[in-house]
Amino acid sequence: MNLAHLHLVMNHVPTVGSVAALGLLLLGFVRRNDHLKHAGLELLFVIAVLTLPVYVSGVAAHRELEDRSEISDDAVRVHHDAALIGFTVTELAGFVAWVALWQSRRRGRQAPGLVAAATVLLVVALAVMGRAANLGGGIRHPEIVAADAAAPAGEPDRFMTSAISEIAVNSRWAWPAAEAVHFLGFSLSIGVLLAVNLRILGAMRQIPFADVHRLLPWGMLGFGANLITGMFFFVGQPGQYTENPPFYWKIVFLMIAGANFLYLTVFGKPWRQADGSDARFDAGAADKAMAIASIAAWLAVLYAGRMLPFLGNAF
Amino acid sequence: VLSWLETTQLAVWLGESPSVWAFPTILTLHTMGLALLVGASWVLDLRLLGISRTVPLSAFRWIFPVVTVGLVVNVVTGVLLFIKNATVWGTSLPFLVKMSLVAASVATLVPIRAHVLRGDATGSRVRFWAIASILAWSAAVTAGRLLAYLMV
Repeated sequence: MNLAHLHLVMNHVPTVGSVAALGLLLLGFVRRNDHLKHAGLELLFVIAVLTLPVYVSGVAAHRELEDRSEISDDAVRVHHDAALIGFTVTELAGFVAWVALWQSRRRGRQAPGLVAAATVLLVVALAVMGRAANLGGGIRHPEIVAADAAAPAGEPDRFMTSAISEIAVNSRWAWPAAEAVHFLGFSLSIGVLLAVNLRILGAMRQIPFADVHRLLPWGMLGFGANLITGMFFFVGQPGQYTENPPFYWKIVFLMIAGANFLYLTVFGKPWRQADGSDARFDAGAADKAMAIASIAAWLAVLYAGRMLPFLGNAF
Repeated sequence: VLSWLETTQLAVWLGESPSVWAFPTILTLHTMGLALLVGASWVLDLRLLGISRTVPLSAFRWIFPVVTVGLVVNVVTGVLLFIKNATVWGTSLPFLVKMSLVAASVATLVPIRAHVLRGDATGSRVRFWAIASILAWSAAVTAGRLLAYLMV
């Protein structure tokens, strides 16, 4: 199975998954049931994490199709532009969903504004991603594309992805600045995740887990900054990454790190309300395994990322 | 001295070995050390600025061993990276700026450590050091990262 195949396998996850998450959220609103809304937010975050490999494998598929004469390059580029917008809105929705989950874990009740914001973003994401999916279907399926809707030929620079690539390659400061932010971002993420996971492993035992947990959004901030700058590199110079095995390892480990964010926010066991009831919380074996996996995953992300030029062919 | 450093066996090995265990691994360890050092420092700075203020400051003492590990790793790997191109780095203004920023960042740890050990986390003086530490580390990391682009 190659990456184009992986894209075909996974490409329904964002749209179908979003419909399911939206269904749960809407049902939660209709029935005034916070558990349903909670499940919807959790699913939305999972979809946001899974959308990363969908997008990345799509770019790899794009490059594999570039030399095929039977494929309209414009059709692929139009799909890619739409997918990038869909990806961005989906990640934003996932981010808001995570903040809502974190907030409700902390306060013991949901913040209606955050849940509503996540729902609205999800609707937008679904609309944009649906358009991207539709355009993607049109690449290989002439039977579903209206004859007059064939993608118009034009200059490559009218495409958003090409414009980003242009900036990445030609601007003197954009790439270095993004690299600097990327380094600051991982420092913040790793510092915070280290604190939270060391607490689970037994450091700072005298303090409530809830108080360490308070730091987590700062870790997510670093994660978000690095998703943005990372995607700038990826869209700017896809060739450096799509043929680079360590890059795919990095994506796998990033998804473990993402799963850890969800784990730390969702499961009630390692974590009770901020009334001090968890002051002597001793993590179970599963919690400790997750903590070790998270620290290992972050080091692996760093290793794979920093070694991209040496193990692979980047730069 | 700089050119002698470059001709030591270790420096030649670092510069010429095609193995991923040579230069690439040293560079990657330098990056991991950076994450530990800066990340752990920032967590403490955030606490001093009032995030998680319900946590007693004494609970944050674990930060210092972590910072020490990061610092030792980065001094060792940093020296190795330096001797590989000692004549280039030793005479470059951007590199000296970076080193000054690193020194300033490490220096902020001294008063911060004193405050933490005294258990005294309030007042504008602590906030000043926390902000100084966050900014100095940011500037140091940024300067370090930009070396790759300024020195080509």
